[in-house]
Amino acid sequence: MHIPILTIPRLYAGVIAQGAVKDLALTVVSTIVSFILGTLGAAGRLYGPWLVKTVIYWYVEIIRGLPAILQLFIIYFGFTQWGIDFSPLTAALIWLVAYGTGYGVEIFRSGIMEVPHGQSEAAAALGLSRRTTMLRIILPQAYAAMLPPLTSFVVLQLKNTTLLYLVGYADIMYQARLGTDATEQPGILYLMAALAYLIMSLAIGRLGYRLERRTAAYR
Amino acid sequence: MSSKVVVSAKHVTKRFGSQVVFEDVTLDVHKKEVVAIIGPSGAGKSTFIRCVNRLHPFDEGTLEVLGHTLTGGGHSPSREILQDIRTRVGMVFQTFNLFPHLSVLNNIILAPMEVKKIHRQQAARQAMELLALVGLEHKAEMFPRRLSGGEQQRVAICRALAMDPEIMLFDEPTSMLDPELVGEVLAAIRRLAQQGMTMLLVTHEMQFAKEVADTVIIMADHGIVEKGPAAKVLDAPATERARVFLRRILKPTEVAAEAAAPARGRF
Repeated sequence: MHIPILTIPRLYAGVIAQGAVKDLALTVVSTIVSFILGTLGAAGRLYGPWLVKTVIYWYVEIIRGLPAILQLFIIYFGFTQWGIDFSPLTAALIWLVAYGTGYGVEIFRSGIMEVPHGQSEAAAALGLSRRTTMLRIILPQAYAAMLPPLTSFVVLQLKNTTLLYLVGYADIMYQARLGTDATEQPGILYLMAALAYLIMSLAIGRLGYRLERRTAAYR
Repeated sequence: MSSKVVVSAKHVTKRFGSQVVFEDVTLDVHKKEVVAIIGPSGAGKSTFIRCVNRLHPFDEGTLEVLGHTLTGGGHSPSREILQDIRTRVGMVFQTFNLFPHLSVLNNIILAPMEVKKIHRQQAARQAMELLALVGLEHKAEMFPRRLSGGEQQRVAICRALAMDPEIMLFDEPTSMLDPELVGEVLAAIRRLAQQGMTMLLVTHEMQFAKEVADTVIIMADHGIVEKGPAAKVLDAPATERARVFLRRILKPTEVAAEAAAPARGRF
C-alpha cells in the first residue's frame, strides 16, 4: 500500500505532537527535579563533610563516565533481574533525573565558584547566616552566571528523550519509527520529528536567552 | 576617647600553613578611638582586622571583642557569639563587595531585615537617611555597577552603618579608587570619626591617618613595629624600621634616587 507523501503529515502530525508533549513534559519535570538536586549536590560537594563530598564526586564521575544509553538500559532492563520492574515512564524519569543531577552538580558547582569570595565575606561581615548568604547572595548570582550552560543542558536533556523509544516509551521518535514501519516513508516522518524537536529546542533557547537578558541589567 | 576597652588583642598570632602572617600582636582599642594601621603590603594588616570580626580564625593568643573572648587554635566561637560580634562590628572592604544583583537600597536593607528583623519600611527609611548623608539618595534604585567606585564605596559604608555598629573596620577603603574619587570616601569616614565611631582603619593615606586617627600603628615584618599617638608615630618614629617605611612612603622619589645612585657609580 502506498500512501501519497502529502497525506503523511496529516496522518501523523497528531501522534508526533502527542509524543512531543510527552518529551517536553519529561524534560520540564526532570529539569526541575535535577535543578533542585543538582544545587543541593553542588553545595554538598563544595561545603559538605568529607563523606558527602566523596559520594557526590563519585556519583558525578559515574554518571559522566557511563554511556547514556547504558544507564537507561541498566535502570529499565538490568533491574528486572532482581525483580524490580519499572514502567517505561518511571524508568525514563529515574534516568533523566539521575543523569540531569550528575551534570547539574557540575554546572551549579562552577556557577557557585564563579561568585567572588568577597561576596560571602561581605555577607558574613554583616552577620548574615550561611543559609541566607547562600539563598540571597550566592545562588542568585550563581544561577545568572550559569544560564548559558544550563540552557544548553536542558536542550540536551530534551534530545536525550529520543533514547526512550528504546524502552518502549511513546515519544516523538517512537511515533516516527512506528510510522516508518507502517508507511515505509522514513524521509518525511523523520523530517516531521526533526521539526518537532527543533521547535521545542528553539523555545528553550529563547527562554534561556530572555532570562539572560534580565540578569544583564546588573552584570 | 573614653577608657573603655572594646577590642583587646593579646599576643595574637596568625599563620597560613607554616607561613607566619603576623605574630604576637598586642593592642587595645578604646571606645571612640580611631586607630589607623599602616605598613608595607604583606605585613598582615588586613588579615589582622579580619580577625576582629572573625572572618579569619587565628592560631595563638586571645582577642576580646565587645565583651566576647575569641581564642586561637581550633576553638570556634558559637554561632550566637559570632553573629553578635558581626552584627555590632561593621566592615568596609577594599573592593567594596556590594551585592551586584541587588539595588543600592536592597544592598543596605538586606542585613537589617534578615538579621535584626527590622520591618522593610523602617529599614528603607533608615537607608535613605544614610544615603542622604553621603549624597546618594537619588541612586537608591540603581544597581551598583551603574555607580562610580567612590559612590559604591560610600554605599558600602551605608550598608555597614545600617546595622548600627559599635565598631567599624575599614580595609584599605580607598586603595581601589581613582585619585579624584578618594576625597569623597575619606570625607564620609572623617564624618564618622567626628561622630565618635570606634574605628580600625587600614590605609595608605598617611595625611588622612594623621588627621583623623588618635593612634597610629605601623605593622611590618609580621608584627607591630611602632604604636602611639598619630603625630608622634608619623613625625618622629622611634624605631629604625618605622623610619625606613615612612621614608619610602612619604618621599618615594628620594628613595628611588638613592637606589639608583650605586648603580650609576658601578658603570
